[in-house]
Amino acid sequence: MATATLPSAALDPDDVLTQSSGRLLWRTGFDRWIGWLLPLLFVVAIYPILDLVYYISSRAIPTLSWAILTSTNPTATDALGVPIITTFEIMAAATLLAVALGIFGGVATAEFLSTRAAEWVRASANMLAGAPSVVVGYFGYIVFVTSFGWGLSYIAGVVTLAFFMTPYVFRTADLAFSSIPRPIREAALGSGSRPVQYILRVGAPIAFPQILTGVFLAMAIGVGETAPLVLTTTYGVLVPQTLYSPVSFLTGLIWANFSQPQNSGLQILAFQAAFLLMVLVVGLNIVVRIISAQYRKRLEGLYQ
Amino acid sequence: MTAGEGMGSSDGGTVLSVRGLTVAAKSKKLLDGISLDFPSQSLTAVIGPSGCGKTTFVRTLNRMAELTPGLRVSGSVKYLGQEIYSPGTNPVLVRRRIGMVFQRPTVFPKSIFENAAFGLRLVHEDEAEVDRAVTESLQRAGLWDEVKDDLDRPALSLSGGQQQRLCIARALATRPRVILLDEPTSALDPAATQRVEATMQRLKEDHVLILVTHNVGQAARVSDRVAFLHAGRLVEVGPTAEILERPRDPLTEQFITGRFA
Repeated sequence: MATATLPSAALDPDDVLTQSSGRLLWRTGFDRWIGWLLPLLFVVAIYPILDLVYYISSRAIPTLSWAILTSTNPTATDALGVPIITTFEIMAAATLLAVALGIFGGVATAEFLSTRAAEWVRASANMLAGAPSVVVGYFGYIVFVTSFGWGLSYIAGVVTLAFFMTPYVFRTADLAFSSIPRPIREAALGSGSRPVQYILRVGAPIAFPQILTGVFLAMAIGVGETAPLVLTTTYGVLVPQTLYSPVSFLTGLIWANFSQPQNSGLQILAFQAAFLLMVLVVGLNIVVRIISAQYRKRLEGLYQ
Repeated sequence: MTAGEGMGSSDGGTVLSVRGLTVAAKSKKLLDGISLDFPSQSLTAVIGPSGCGKTTFVRTLNRMAELTPGLRVSGSVKYLGQEIYSPGTNPVLVRRRIGMVFQRPTVFPKSIFENAAFGLRLVHEDEAEVDRAVTESLQRAGLWDEVKDDLDRPALSLSGGQQQRLCIARALATRPRVILLDEPTSALDPAATQRVEATMQRLKEDHVLILVTHNVGQAARVSDRVAFLHAGRLVEVGPTAEILERPRDPLTEQFITGRFA
């Protein structure tokens, strides 16, 4: 039925554009109901994260100081310098390895392998990505620590962590190259470039932002991993001097110190390390967002 | 309101009335103060160079423009006297009355029948009614004879031109008064283009058609009115023959002769 506010009394009910036109009323009600439900579910989903952030921050922030972050005193219970430096060293080395392996694998899979071989590689990478970190850690222990005879060492930890991070880089590299529009690829090859020239001159600039996103994501995941390192290294108190040295890293410190007596200096140190990791992961995610937004703008129109 | 009065308001009258329509993206105006009326039973071709705002223009007429983030629409668009940009207006209802066909065929991965029936299924029409409406809209889209024996075939197995006519049928099935066609033949070959053009000419008997095209020849063949847009402004509008043969504005002349030369 037409309402009194209609401009023309002779309007066909089907032509009425306001919501009061009967047949669609229950639908509008449903829309409104969903409109309330979704924010509610969002709050339910985000609550544990907020709670965790509060739990960690409220214990870490009041006691954190510049001195704690920079002190490398191996015997102090209020020094995070060594694990911070070592974590950065491990991440840099593992990322370098994972990037090399992942990008090579991704490009090869997207550009050179037969469809069937590519499917196998992708399936394996997905399996590796789905493997529990403790399994990857145990693999590292069996292969690098014992078979290769590296012992529990810095290098065994780095290589194992790199294996853990590789599938994330691989996946984005593969996807980035596979999703370049076919005509672009054909235009490059049709202009007489060799496949490698296509990859380097046309494909890489297009795929780069997506790959970079994958790299930062892999770092964010890798930096929070404990098992691949705990199982392949011994925990030390010094910045590693050789490839076979013991290492000290933030997640290991949390693992070791969290079970210390409540509110003891050692447990507080674990909270501080957790807080740092949190900041690091959030920071990496922000970098990812900035980079991908920047490059999306630049490549706008390509994927239409 | 009594039955039977309904159609009266639009016969010969204005169905869509656009006043001072302005669309702005972040820094620039895509459309600048467009005012234009669309009477019933008319086919208006909107022509102009790439980037002049033709597509943006038709997308503002059924509130599709707001699906693109960052666009700000101001001004007025009235459908049978009702402001489509007023807060009480339901954009879903607007789009049911003002259908749309896109540049590339956009059939869904469903059967031919289910594609044509898509809009009807959204409002729970009964099965006999859906059957009837699908048949009718396929006939009016000029596709019926080619598909009547295999309506259960996947729509994606049709040729591009057939797919585009199926999209027109899908738009027709909800019985819209207005159909917006955004370069509906730009992805089709000449034979398929001809069929779609024939369909458009048939449809203007009972619909308001608004056709965006970059093809002046197509505008000449099918439209009875041409609106020329340039840099977001409506340069001129008038009967097709008048605009294409004796354009008043030098910009229009340049565009038309550039195309024909």
